[in-house]
Amino acid sequence: MPPPSPIPRPLPPSLQEIPGVWRGHELAPVKARSTGHRVLDALLPGGGWPIGALTELIPLIEGIGEVAVLQMALKRLCDEKRHIVFVHPPYIPYAPALLSAGLPLPRVLWIDAACDEDAHWAAEQTLREGAAGAVLLWSHAHADRPLRRLQLAAEAGQSLAFIYRPAVTLQHSSPAALRIALRPAPGALGVEVLKARGGRTGAVCLRVHSHV
Amino acid sequence: MLWVCIASPVQEKHALKALASWAGQFSSCVCLDAERWLLWLEIGSSLRYFGGLNVLLEKVAAGLNALALTATMGVAPTPEAAALLARQPQALPVLQLEHLQRAIATLPLTKLAMLPAAIAGLQASGLTSVGELLALPRDALARRWGLQVTHYLQRLLGERADPRKPYRAPQTYHRRFDFAEPAQTVEGLLFPLRRILYELQGYLRGRDAALQTLSVAFRHRDHADTALTLRTTDPQRDALRLFALLREKLERTQLPGAVMQIRLSVERFVALRDTQLHLWDEEQRQDAGWSELLDKLRARLGDQAVRRLGLRDDHRPEKAWCVQSDAAAADLPPAFPDRPLWLLSPRPIEQLPQLLGKPERIEAGWWSGEDSSRDYYIAQTAEGSRWWLYREAATARWFLQGIWA
Repeated sequence: MPPPSPIPRPLPPSLQEIPGVWRGHELAPVKARSTGHRVLDALLPGGGWPIGALTELIPLIEGIGEVAVLQMALKRLCDEKRHIVFVHPPYIPYAPALLSAGLPLPRVLWIDAACDEDAHWAAEQTLREGAAGAVLLWSHAHADRPLRRLQLAAEAGQSLAFIYRPAVTLQHSSPAALRIALRPAPGALGVEVLKARGGRTGAVCLRVHSHV
Repeated sequence: MLWVCIASPVQEKHALKALASWAGQFSSCVCLDAERWLLWLEIGSSLRYFGGLNVLLEKVAAGLNALALTATMGVAPTPEAAALLARQPQALPVLQLEHLQRAIATLPLTKLAMLPAAIAGLQASGLTSVGELLALPRDALARRWGLQVTHYLQRLLGERADPRKPYRAPQTYHRRFDFAEPAQTVEGLLFPLRRILYELQGYLRGRDAALQTLSVAFRHRDHADTALTLRTTDPQRDALRLFALLREKLERTQLPGAVMQIRLSVERFVALRDTQLHLWDEEQRQDAGWSELLDKLRARLGDQAVRRLGLRDDHRPEKAWCVQSDAAAADLPPAFPDRPLWLLSPRPIEQLPQLLGKPERIEAGWWSGEDSSRDYYIAQTAEGSRWWLYREAATARWFLQGIWA
């Protein structure tokens, strides 16, 4: 893994002065929604979670704020009367916690698929319809193909699309537009951008729990 | 009055009735003749609503086409003349009574709805066309062939009243479809299923109604029926939408054997205002997309897999929530202390991780015999995970019940 480089190295002045020379992450404007974390927005292309593209989140262990990192973006979607869809989460999404996080229960849908294939199908349908503001899918798929299908569905529907994958998938490549590893850090959550289409890699630390 | 007669290609009584129910979308007066396999629609009063005769006839033809039926139609001011024209391919519609006699004059005698013996007799006297028959004096005809013949000709020409009993569509919808050869595959079911859903759509349009629950049963030779129930979030009547949902359900259903018969039934209907179908603003459109999506998900994954969450008034964390089938109106949320996103069924833990902060005492359920005095703690494992633990007061045992994801 390359060492994190949060600040892009400035271009030589001569290059910057030439009109028409764009830096990599400026090349294709990326549509995004703020994550609600300023340091993370600054790192991500477009300044937030990409809209209409797949974001892959790989928590190294569970219980480190791997969903809480999305909370502010999800809350804003709910404020705009959009729906949040949890597909195949590993445990029961606890209603009191959702409410406290600013996600009204009628805005939340929990799809408890019987298998990974059904879960991918449900996420794909939901993304393609664009009827939800965000889709969060917990997947065990190792293959490329289901992820490619999700990426295409995300492009069609223009929602936020998150896929949670186990740490073992880190060794595989991924078609996701944005790929992020999440690791525990003292009193915080370490967010490492491994791949960002139209952006750069890097790492930041965020505080996502109210209890430190 | 203006009548369309459809010479029905279906020749089973219940199929003809289903077709009559379907035709209710075009006319409030539908009549049928189950001996001659004819269906009449009085369209004089619905022409304006449909935007003229041609548009209406195109809609009827397109509808029949969707039912995979090839039928000939005749249009005339009397039911019998319409029936006569329906037996004559490419006959032009006759709109005025005064044009009728000339329009049918050249048709062969054999197309008339008269007994074969009468027709044969007339032919034997050298007559070949309808015009030649109509030119004969009526009283002579009556003496030779009976009043039946002259009355028929009078009804044909509109000289005698021809009252007909309109077909009344039933209040609940039941349609069965029998296979000539048992259907062995799901694909074999889809074609008739789509057809009977199109009939249902016509019936619903005629009633200006929609449905939210649809039952389909597949009858097998040696097994109990396979029954499917489709429930939709919003009232529906679009045949293709219903078909897509049923198909999804069907493909996830294990059929125990070949299918002999399909039975479709709808017991309850929802009145549908036109505005619900045509006038959408953006938010409604989004809501419609959302409920369509829910239906699609439920059809494949099952009703139980698509869940809404709710709260229950109970202090015990595992009973403070519930699954709801539909989104309830949002009450003002009560203020909860910090709660973890994931709830687990309590699992005992051996190694106690580092506890953070003060415990929260939760006591509830003692009146139901489930004494559950618990002290809840937030804890952090050595790896850095946040857990929600409790210590059972009675046993001093520790359990993991939540994870801060």
